[in-house]
Amino acid sequence: MLWMLVLLPMLAGAALFAAGSERRAWLALVAGATMAAMVLLATFAAAGSWHGELLWSPMLVLHVALTPLSAAVALLVPAVALPVLAYAAFHEERPGLRRLLALLLLFVGAMELLVIAADLLTLLIGWELVGACSWALIAHQWRDASRPASGLYASVMTRLGDLGMFLAAMAAFAGSGSFAYADLAQLHGLPLALLTFGLLLSAASKSGQLPFSPWLFRAMAGPTSVSALLHAATMVAAGAYLLARLQPELSRVAWFAPATIAIGLTTALAGGVVAIVQSHAKKLLAASTSAHFGLMFIAVGAGYPAVAVAHLVAHACFKAPLFLAAGIAGQRIDGYTLARMRLGHALPWVATMSGVAALALAGVPPLGAAWTKEAIAAAGGQISPWLAAAVLLAGGLSAVYAARFQGLAFGFGDPPVQAEPPHRIERMAIGLLALVTLVLSLLWLPRIRAALGELLGVVWPASDALALAASLLLAALGLATGYLLVRRHPMLGQAGAPAAVADWWGLPTLLRMSVSMPVLLLASAAARADDALIDAAPRAVAWLGRRTATRIARDDDAVVDRGVRATETFTTALAVFGRRLGERIADGLPEGAAALVSLGGLDARRLQTGLSQHYVAMLAIGGALLTVILLLGS
Amino acid sequence: MLTLAILVPLLGAFALLFLPNACEQTTRRIAIGVAAVPLVLLLIVWARFDTGAGAAAFQQVATVPWIPSLGVAWRVGVDGIALAISAMSAVLFLAAIAWPAETKQRARAYYAWFLFLEAVSLGVFMALDLLLFYVFFDLSLVGMYFLIGRWGHDDAPRAALKFFVYTFAGSLAILLAILGLSLGSGSLTFDMRELIARQPLAGMDVRSALVLLGFVFGFGIKTPLFPLHTWLPPAHVNAPGPVSAILAGVLLKMGVYGLIRIPFSMMSATFARYALPLGILAVISILWGSLVALGQQDLKRRIAYTSVNHMGYAVLGVAAAGAMVASESGRQLALTGAVVEMVAHGLTTGALFLITAVFWQRAREYDMQAYGGLAQVAPRLTAAATVAAFASLGLPGLAGFVAEFQIFAGTFATYPWLAGIGLLGILITAALFLQLLQRLFFGEMQSRRASFADLCMRETLLLGVLLLLVVAIGVYPHALLAVIDSASATLVRSR
Repeated sequence: MLWMLVLLPMLAGAALFAAGSERRAWLALVAGATMAAMVLLATFAAAGSWHGELLWSPMLVLHVALTPLSAAVALLVPAVALPVLAYAAFHEERPGLRRLLALLLLFVGAMELLVIAADLLTLLIGWELVGACSWALIAHQWRDASRPASGLYASVMTRLGDLGMFLAAMAAFAGSGSFAYADLAQLHGLPLALLTFGLLLSAASKSGQLPFSPWLFRAMAGPTSVSALLHAATMVAAGAYLLARLQPELSRVAWFAPATIAIGLTTALAGGVVAIVQSHAKKLLAASTSAHFGLMFIAVGAGYPAVAVAHLVAHACFKAPLFLAAGIAGQRIDGYTLARMRLGHALPWVATMSGVAALALAGVPPLGAAWTKEAIAAAGGQISPWLAAAVLLAGGLSAVYAARFQGLAFGFGDPPVQAEPPHRIERMAIGLLALVTLVLSLLWLPRIRAALGELLGVVWPASDALALAASLLLAALGLATGYLLVRRHPMLGQAGAPAAVADWWGLPTLLRMSVSMPVLLLASAAARADDALIDAAPRAVAWLGRRTATRIARDDDAVVDRGVRATETFTTALAVFGRRLGERIADGLPEGAAALVSLGGLDARRLQTGLSQHYVAMLAIGGALLTVILLLGS
Repeated sequence: MLTLAILVPLLGAFALLFLPNACEQTTRRIAIGVAAVPLVLLLIVWARFDTGAGAAAFQQVATVPWIPSLGVAWRVGVDGIALAISAMSAVLFLAAIAWPAETKQRARAYYAWFLFLEAVSLGVFMALDLLLFYVFFDLSLVGMYFLIGRWGHDDAPRAALKFFVYTFAGSLAILLAILGLSLGSGSLTFDMRELIARQPLAGMDVRSALVLLGFVFGFGIKTPLFPLHTWLPPAHVNAPGPVSAILAGVLLKMGVYGLIRIPFSMMSATFARYALPLGILAVISILWGSLVALGQQDLKRRIAYTSVNHMGYAVLGVAAAGAMVASESGRQLALTGAVVEMVAHGLTTGALFLITAVFWQRAREYDMQAYGGLAQVAPRLTAAATVAAFASLGLPGLAGFVAEFQIFAGTFATYPWLAGIGLLGILITAALFLQLLQRLFFGEMQSRRASFADLCMRETLLLGVLLLLVVAIGVYPHALLAVIDSASATLVRSR
């Protein structure tokens, strides 16, 4: 039955596409109903601890099952997708809308597969399907050639991470003879290290951690609803979720915690700065996604996977409405340049909801996201107070860009910009997500938190009043800085050094120069070499063969021809000889005959009988000789 | 039953030649009808196939004495591997024959050669006699030579000749190796089952190495394995689409199949000793094939080189399975994966080459730069090409993944380094196929392509069937894996 969680959206997507209708209300209804059904299914599945398996062969068995953590994410995915898909049906452009919704449904199904997977093979299937869906979604508006190119970029970069998952599966099989999560405990030594390395690599690439972060920028070529889903509940979420899910196994490797924390911290800080100087609304949010997933990596590294998942949930609930709001703003000004927006007057509802989400992004209490950030700092504090401080600093950066985003996108411009209001469904989608963000404030209540901890079977890290105060201070400072940036430097990040930093510190250029261009050059060089060099050996053999053949042919000319010519000469000679002889005979015959005749005539009177026999015999001999000569002469 | 599957298309081929000049339509219908017979027969064989633990390795065996003094006989039969590949070949032949072809006013000859090729190709996979195998192996060259040479375009005669001479050199090496193997087996026999049981040449160092070299060289050309692959691109580029589909889908399989059937099974000790070099060669094929494919601007050449890459995966699996180290389960996984790769590659690349036929038929051009934005006028073609491309780059849910996952997981247990390096191949393949899709179908459409026709009914149906099989294998390969596993388990366990 648990398979239904995967099959339902996939079949609904196929049916939606096959039905052929492009009506917005119909598409929203089907997609929304499917998501609602999935939320119900996931609830029942979690309550009834459903599981399933599918036998490919005795060695390849697909398992799906739910743990408390995966049940939380399995619920989150359709819950966030519900408003996003409804929004998509009313927000995105008409041609290809049906395909877009069908792909989004498929995307959700693939994500659910990797969430409920209980072995590495099933995980890999969901993992790669999510990647393929993201390619199709980013390339959705394919008439503009740059979008499929961005899809390719994102796909190849994340597939590089997928190789890590192949490696992990291979190592698990070599070490335990099985792919199941349950058997990972048998792994030790090198296979365990390879498993950890592989999974960390694939998680980092999916979650947009350094050095893979640039793909998230390229993913912005997709429609806004795709970005919203991709950043909130699918694809990017997969990386952090995976580490949280398998943390008990992975943390047996000594370097797992420091490596994960290092990746997460670097990305959180570097990404925070990138977001602060970004001038493109969606890219600002994308960089902030990398930064916040960096925080989740820190939580997993510090040994609190549940904290990471809690932040994942909170992040999904505030990041999705921010993207949806950015999409509406971008549609109004036909672009995503923040400095040109200031749509506060024109879009009051969107601006308010975006404001709520931006406060959550900034980590302002009493919103739930502030508590999850606090918990990550507390978790980090158990490793080192410096780590806690770094997490709080990342939170401060987050406040800066949150204020900057809100101020530039939905500030009050002068003169006020006019724009048509968004569709009711678009407003409802954003409102619903903002509402959930508000509801998550309950996380601050100790009793709720305790109940939740009990449900998930985890203990939350103890919080610290000093850290809380520091966090509040940093958030306030951050908001003020952001506000100042909006006022004083609205054009920040459009030129000069900030623009270079805004493009992930020049990392995409570095990657292009050091990886993609060399590979492409190598490929064309290889293609030439294949024709010129590798084929040279058989060509040389062929050439040798031809030459030998030619020589034999020439020899053939020489020897055989000579033979033929000799035969000819011989024949001619024979013929000449024969002719001479023949002439003599031919001349001689009639002459002889005449002589004989005269002789005979002379004797005839004497010999009246017997002469005719002689005559016939002479003729026969002459005729035979003539025949032979004629044959030879011809 | 199997004899019939070979004889029906063979007789059909001759019957077509003596048919009073029927019109093209009728000829094609007859050919389709004849080509459907082996498929039906093989499906019956599949249904009756016993995958149980105690079942005979080779089933549906038929024997008719031929040259008793030399131990040669008409022996046919299938194990799980042969059955899977034969069935795939029968499907692909039916699709290629039914594909709307340009027969250049010589429909009877075209379909007759096709049926002839089908008969001898199935013969290669079903033969249980080495000499019979060799005869079919060589006859397949003849059929392919004429199909490329007479119905190809541009430089077809030259390409066909290169194909013929190159692969014929390979088959001469195979003949010598076959003789070396049979003569070394004590009393002379060409019965494969007998030879598998006897393991001739075991313990004869130099001679067995030379015989193995002969087989690897001969089958390596056919596979094709780096650096013996350069006959492949010209043959593909100049061949008509359906012929390319058969060349890639069926004929290349004879190389890997031959490796499994003969040296892998009949001289397992020697094979194990040289498995590592073979594996290294396979990894070079994987990387080189994908890299060179990425460097191609010509649609058909690009797909042709991905065959080098994919067959590299298959050979890697065979090499890993043949090494006598590591666990049985890992080696079985690798061998099963290699066979699934052959089936998956046959269907996928067959479909891809049929798709190239669409391009040639509509626009007489394979240069990818000459296209773009075709999704606008040919959505069905775009969808089919996308599925086929994703299958070829090994996306889960499609057949290629089932193969490659098993190959890598199985190989890692034996040669972790080779598996690790080979993984890079699936990254480059992803890049090259996504780029291919992008160039052909997305972006701005060139105005001269406005009249580019989408897939017609028949084309849609044929590609649909092939790709449906690809999806079915990708989602739930249980039936296929059960049949193949029955053979690979026997092969791996007997070492």
